[in-house]
Amino acid sequence: MNLITKQPPEALEDIKYSLPFSFANDGESVDGVFTVAGDTIYIFADGKLEEKYKITDFKEFECRHQVGSSMAQGILHNDDVICFCAFTQEQFLRYAEVAKLLEHFIRTGEMITDTGADEPSCPKCGLPLNGAPECVFCQSKSSIMLRLIKLIGPYKKYFITALICTILWQLIWVFTPYLDRLIIDKYVSPRYEDWGGFITIVIAMVSMLLLAGIFEYFNMKNSFKTSLGIGRDLRQEVFTKSQELSMGSISKRTAGELINRVSGDVSKLEEFITANGKDAIVKIMQLFIIGTLLFVMDWKLALLTILPIPFVLMLVKKLYAVMSIRYTKVWKHSTHHSETLHDILNGIRVVKSYGSESREIERYGECSKKWARAVSRAEIMWYMTIPFSRFVLTIGNFLVLYFGGSMILDHEMSLGQLIQFTTYVAMLYEPINWMIELPRTFADASVSAGKVFEILDERSEVSDIQDPVDINIKGDIEFDDVYFGYKAYIPVLKGITCKINKGEMIGIVGHSGVGKSTMINLILRLYDCTQGEIRIDGVPIKNISQHSLRSQVGVVLQETFLFDGSVLDNIAYARPDAPFEEIVKAAKIANAHDFIVKLPDGYNTRVGNKGYQLSGGERQRIAIARALLHDPKIIILDEATASLDTQTEKQIQQALAKLTEGRTTIAIAHRLSTLSNADRLIVLDKGKLAEFGTHNELMKKGGVYYKLVMAQRQTTKMKKANTQPVEA
Amino acid sequence: MEPNITEEVYEVDKLVLLDCDKLKLTIEKSGFLTAEYNGKTYHRVDPTRLIPFRSKTTYISLSYETEEKEFREIGVIKDMAQLSPEQYELLDKYLEYKYYMPEITKVYSIRDNMRGAIFVKVDTTSGSKTICVHDWYQNFRMLSEDYLYVNDADGNKYFCKDIHKLDKKSLAVLEMFT
Repeated sequence: MNLITKQPPEALEDIKYSLPFSFANDGESVDGVFTVAGDTIYIFADGKLEEKYKITDFKEFECRHQVGSSMAQGILHNDDVICFCAFTQEQFLRYAEVAKLLEHFIRTGEMITDTGADEPSCPKCGLPLNGAPECVFCQSKSSIMLRLIKLIGPYKKYFITALICTILWQLIWVFTPYLDRLIIDKYVSPRYEDWGGFITIVIAMVSMLLLAGIFEYFNMKNSFKTSLGIGRDLRQEVFTKSQELSMGSISKRTAGELINRVSGDVSKLEEFITANGKDAIVKIMQLFIIGTLLFVMDWKLALLTILPIPFVLMLVKKLYAVMSIRYTKVWKHSTHHSETLHDILNGIRVVKSYGSESREIERYGECSKKWARAVSRAEIMWYMTIPFSRFVLTIGNFLVLYFGGSMILDHEMSLGQLIQFTTYVAMLYEPINWMIELPRTFADASVSAGKVFEILDERSEVSDIQDPVDINIKGDIEFDDVYFGYKAYIPVLKGITCKINKGEMIGIVGHSGVGKSTMINLILRLYDCTQGEIRIDGVPIKNISQHSLRSQVGVVLQETFLFDGSVLDNIAYARPDAPFEEIVKAAKIANAHDFIVKLPDGYNTRVGNKGYQLSGGERQRIAIARALLHDPKIIILDEATASLDTQTEKQIQQALAKLTEGRTTIAIAHRLSTLSNADRLIVLDKGKLAEFGTHNELMKKGGVYYKLVMAQRQTTKMKKANTQPVEA
Repeated sequence: MEPNITEEVYEVDKLVLLDCDKLKLTIEKSGFLTAEYNGKTYHRVDPTRLIPFRSKTTYISLSYETEEKEFREIGVIKDMAQLSPEQYELLDKYLEYKYYMPEITKVYSIRDNMRGAIFVKVDTTSGSKTICVHDWYQNFRMLSEDYLYVNDADGNKYFCKDIHKLDKKSLAVLEMFT
């Protein structure tokens, strides 16, 4: 990443970093330069040196996001904060990189100028690179249509068969006007009663029609095989990619939007390929063959025929630009519609609880109306333009009739010839009409194609290395100077260093938002740390294959999600091939078997969205059974009992104790009493590891943990005091 | 630096509408504000527009963070017009820079790369530029019948208070995407 993007107004030696900024620390608009030269920070505003600081006077540097701007700040050793400057957001990543490097200098004395970090945005189009070495939009050489054509590959046998049948079918139709001409010129006009010849031609025409029908049948059959196969493959590819994407990528989109892309957009592409795939080739061939025939028959009449075509094509080109935008709006409203539907139906419990059904009906109605309006605007644009372009096109026909008729009267042309010519003109206009219709379908399909390829082209933020290792996890976990932030350069965790031994139960405690769940997300490798390393049994986590890691980690979350299926399916989700007895054993250990037996269909009772409603405790015990069956080496309990009352929690604790026996366990809980069995506790504060030790050690220290415990005990005392009966 | 004087009990459920006559704001070297109110001094005060899309000068929250990084609200300025002219100017200047959002004054063209991004060539109050908008259906939208809000790929924000007051050509270009 280039960290010298603007030179300071004064000549300085040994410039390491130099960046522009737009606001002084009081918010005044300035033309400023932030420069680091040697071990000094220089702040220039409007060409003048305003401030100078020694780097070593500071203990920390940070960039603080505001709404429309960000500021670069330094924290002095006495905890005072200095704001160096403020800048617009496109500078944020560079300033954040400089802040990181200045901190590195403070820690190690080493000033790094070339970090190897990628440029934040593409120099060509300006879009963020998001860590990729090249811009996904600029690098893709194949156009969307070419990529769609490549999808035909596995089905080229069917496609070619359909294509050949269509060509043969078209050739039959090209020959038929010649037979019409023979009938008219040889038999009808001269009233020549040679029935033998006449019937021969009629039989030939009927046979050709039959043959055309047979070719059409094979054409349709093979076309459908091709398009349905492509649709199926594309749906599978998009869904597979959505499963492979990292949490960071998936959480950028709503479930409704992903559903729309997997089913709606792929269906549109399938429809487009069915209707237009091979037709494109056939229509172009038809245009060429018919055009040649017309010119061979009479070049002057042929010129009259093609006279309006350039005007129509210009109109079509303009129409395409407009139609693609309108169809993009249709897609936007259609996705919003899916999202709204998904949102309302998913949260139906909340809707019912607040009695806001009529409000949601109105919201859905608005959304549906906007979608309909967008479709209407797109279609109206289309239907206003098309009749006019068709009329312009057919002017050629009228010109041919007029001049052709004159040629017949002057005996320069026979009636049969004119009829043959006008039939060919109609056949020529057919592919041109198809091309006129194309902007609409092409625009609609290319929007969907763009959405589909956006997912397929997306780089997963978390991916396996070239040759990842599969390890048999024992359970040692080590954090080595780990930094992580969900947004680049805004760290949630800073410099976490700790070692968790095999078989230990570790509790992670701290205020809300301090990074507890983030630590767990890093152990699960749902995200990769931005700095430092996490090791499992001494092996860097990035070197372990994700499948190997996650197959040996069990998770019990606060909110248990049960898939739509039976109790048996949900427990066996961890190991679908597990024998039934093992499943029952897991359920027994999890204290779940007893309530399952009482369910209407036992283990076959359907649960999930459409099934039997289980209580929170029951769902949690099924989740624990699922984790037990998984037989993991590391257990993660993320507020596993937070939504349960104390009594139910006690019941679950027994099951959890069996689950965590002999396994490395990481547990998060706000209720500190839940962690009473923990061997040691990690206490996070302001994103850093403040304390690490046993409960007794930390209580003796009187630090952050002590304050948390005292605060909770105070709350409990107050609750108890409030429930004490008041003396009369 | 003096620690903030904390109230005995922070009443999280109480809305304190500040009396602007008793409020004095100054800018610190840290880039934050210092607020003096009712005899107490608060450092590293961060003003926030509570309804930024509806109003720039009403309902401004003044808050700070405790040593434990806990949020504490001093109170809410109901209307900045109640401040003295100097205080108004100071706070307004600060908010304008915190919420820096150039206004779009003319739209020349919008190019769609058919992959979810658009490139909008505009004139703004901070000069001419081509704004790259990623996921444009989320980040280029009308917040009301007239108000256009744009969030570019870098996180910069732009707005147009009333697109119907733009010239006809700009409106024609915008209407395709709004």
